[in-house]
Amino acid sequence: MRRRCPPTACLGLAALLFAALPSRAQVTFNKQIAPIVFEYCSACHHTGEAAPFTLMNYDDVRKHANQIVAVTKIRLMPPWPPAHGYGDFVGERRLSDEQIRLIQQWVAEGRKEGDPRDLPPAPHFDEDGWRLGPPDLIVKFPQPFRVPATGADVWRNFVMPTGLTETKYVRAIQLRPGNKRVVHHANIVLDSTHSLRRRDGADGQPGFPGMDVITEARSGSFDPTSHFLFWKPGTIPEFEPDDMAWKLDPGTDLIFNLHLLPTGKEELVQPELGLYFTTRAPTRLPMLVQLEHDGALDIPPGVRDFEVRDRVVLPAAAEVLGVYPHAHYLGKQLEAWATLPNGSRIWLLKINDWDVNWQGVYMYRKPVSLPKGSALEMRITYDNSAQNPRNPSHPPHRVLGGDRSSDEMGHIWLQLVAPQGAKEDIRPAIEEAVMKRRLEKYPADFVAHYNLGAMFVSRGEFAAAIPYLEAALKVDPHDATARNTLGGALLENDRLDDAIRELRQAVTDAPDYLNARFNLGRALAANGDLEGAAAEFSAIIEKSADDGDAQWALATVLMKQRQYAQALPHLEIAARLKPDDADIQTNLGVVLAMQSDFARAIRAFERALEINPNEGVAKQNLERARKQLESSGSGPRS
Amino acid sequence: MQSMVILSLLLAAQLELVAPHGEKAAVLFFIRADCPISNRYVPEIERIYKAYGHRGFDIHLVYSEPDLSIEAMQAHRREYQLSAPAITDPEHRYVKLAHIHTTPSAAVFVNGRLVYDGRIDNRFVSFSKTRTSGIQHDLTGVLDAIEAGKTPPLRETSAVGCAVEDVQ
Repeated sequence: MRRRCPPTACLGLAALLFAALPSRAQVTFNKQIAPIVFEYCSACHHTGEAAPFTLMNYDDVRKHANQIVAVTKIRLMPPWPPAHGYGDFVGERRLSDEQIRLIQQWVAEGRKEGDPRDLPPAPHFDEDGWRLGPPDLIVKFPQPFRVPATGADVWRNFVMPTGLTETKYVRAIQLRPGNKRVVHHANIVLDSTHSLRRRDGADGQPGFPGMDVITEARSGSFDPTSHFLFWKPGTIPEFEPDDMAWKLDPGTDLIFNLHLLPTGKEELVQPELGLYFTTRAPTRLPMLVQLEHDGALDIPPGVRDFEVRDRVVLPAAAEVLGVYPHAHYLGKQLEAWATLPNGSRIWLLKINDWDVNWQGVYMYRKPVSLPKGSALEMRITYDNSAQNPRNPSHPPHRVLGGDRSSDEMGHIWLQLVAPQGAKEDIRPAIEEAVMKRRLEKYPADFVAHYNLGAMFVSRGEFAAAIPYLEAALKVDPHDATARNTLGGALLENDRLDDAIRELRQAVTDAPDYLNARFNLGRALAANGDLEGAAAEFSAIIEKSADDGDAQWALATVLMKQRQYAQALPHLEIAARLKPDDADIQTNLGVVLAMQSDFARAIRAFERALEINPNEGVAKQNLERARKQLESSGSGPRS
Repeated sequence: MQSMVILSLLLAAQLELVAPHGEKAAVLFFIRADCPISNRYVPEIERIYKAYGHRGFDIHLVYSEPDLSIEAMQAHRREYQLSAPAITDPEHRYVKLAHIHTTPSAAVFVNGRLVYDGRIDNRFVSFSKTRTSGIQHDLTGVLDAIEAGKTPPLRETSAVGCAVEDVQ
């Protein structure tokens, strides 16, 4: 038997039921739509930004309402290629199903504005200024580049020297593209080798074409790229964490890798990059690890699911801070994950419908912690069929790996850093793992052999470095950098005759290569050929008088030959160029004292002790010099 | 003064749909000043205008934004160097006549009868997918057929681009 409720109780129940039903109250711009638009759209859709129209108020949105319904329905806007649930990223611009439905309801109900009191404040965007204040250095195209009105997208690279004369630590950058309708995205790549200057302007236009920038690995030391330097519309510049600035050495070129989009009329672009420096050298040192297997890219025409994989096992625990996926027009599905030692999988990224037009760097909301022994893995598929509308070839043809837009690539870049509190620098071990994996893929690869050699040199493991460097030179016998690095490793390994032979060859191959000449001087000096060494250091100074190492090395050789008077000017210059070197100050003091210039000698010893209070030689000589000065009667007067 | 010129063009265009001056056909390009896909088609629209305009086709641009001012329309024409005559369509008279929902689109009228409406070509497959080769030129195919003396039956294709907003 049913119990009837008293009338008052039934009324209460009805009210509760009504409240629990989904609200079909009218959707207004001010109440429901403005918060969505301001959060997800306005960052790009405001005056001066890249989007073709503004979405900052009711009128803006009303006038584009059908368009907004269309693009949100298919999730084209806001652009966010990563699949939901395959990595938790900062700034995920993804509308919920409910938000998309609200927009549709608002349009269907006549685009009502609503009560002004419901309207949240519109976001404020600084106009096109430097958002972090005036930069310490601005690098700007010397002249605008002309983008044609029509035709295929333009992929262009511009070589930008910085003019720096000393190493800087960069804590932030801001790219101002100048013409945001044209510049679709930009990558900044560092080239310490000047290898790309040769290509600059070769086709009569500023820069050189190519979807990717491949620099030569010739730095001679282990200094891996550490940061993603990427810009896309809506990017808000931010400072790196205090302990994670990145190093920019003098002579390193900045390569602007730009994707330029014809707009229907001829456009000029003249981007500029603002750099913000800090005096604080980084103490947390991230590195970028690349998963790839471009050598396996040989995609027959008509194939719809060509697959490429790569896998690198981490030799140390690491945190993944961010990911940058990259492929060209045929790229279809991009996946990256980590397989932990216990066999479980952590997804790092999944993009189901790769679109080269919407590239991006994705930073994890929380660093992804991976234990030692985890495998970083990628899988990328390609569609080289005629049914793929993005296929640049019609009919399709065989496609190989390469940097032209008609070639393909498939890269997953990951930014890794040692876990907080880790004492060891994990980068050399990771570099070793990555390069050894590279040798598995490409046994005759110069870069892998060379980088392994340079990495062992940086770890002071010279004997281990030598076979890799020798193997690199078998691949490219004329590479002076590799030969110089080999010569340096042989020298450190006390194989002086071999070192001198290799370094002489490096200098013969590249007479202006001052690092090789410097190492040759060191090797000759170690072998007792002081005159020969002095000749090499003098040759460097003739070309580059501001080379403090060469000045100091020449002074050392001259002092060994007891040519103190000749050594003195070089010591003085070296002391000026390397003011924080206690050894130079000590030796300068000694030579000055030998010249009876005790007052200056005392200053040099005092400076040496300022730098290193435990500098015993300086301490002893300082006392002696003071006594000498007192006895000569030319002490300071009161 | 400027608006007077445009007004007369508007009236002229209204008449030209029935081609009273012996033109082979009236061709309308529906565009939108702030639509990036529409703007990327400007060079192609210009090419078609220059190639077919003097061969007896009466070609006009129709700006589909309901509240676009004449000044804004002229500024866009100057900025993109559009030389075809243009009209605004605040009441969507032409949008409705030509069954247009998207910009850019084209419509072709022969003796006032709609024979084609839809995409200019198939370069855009969707908002985010663009062909870089294998382009099928739908509009000029229709114009070539008309030039060859054929009167094609009505053909409609789907265009990819920006939605035409409702008149409110």
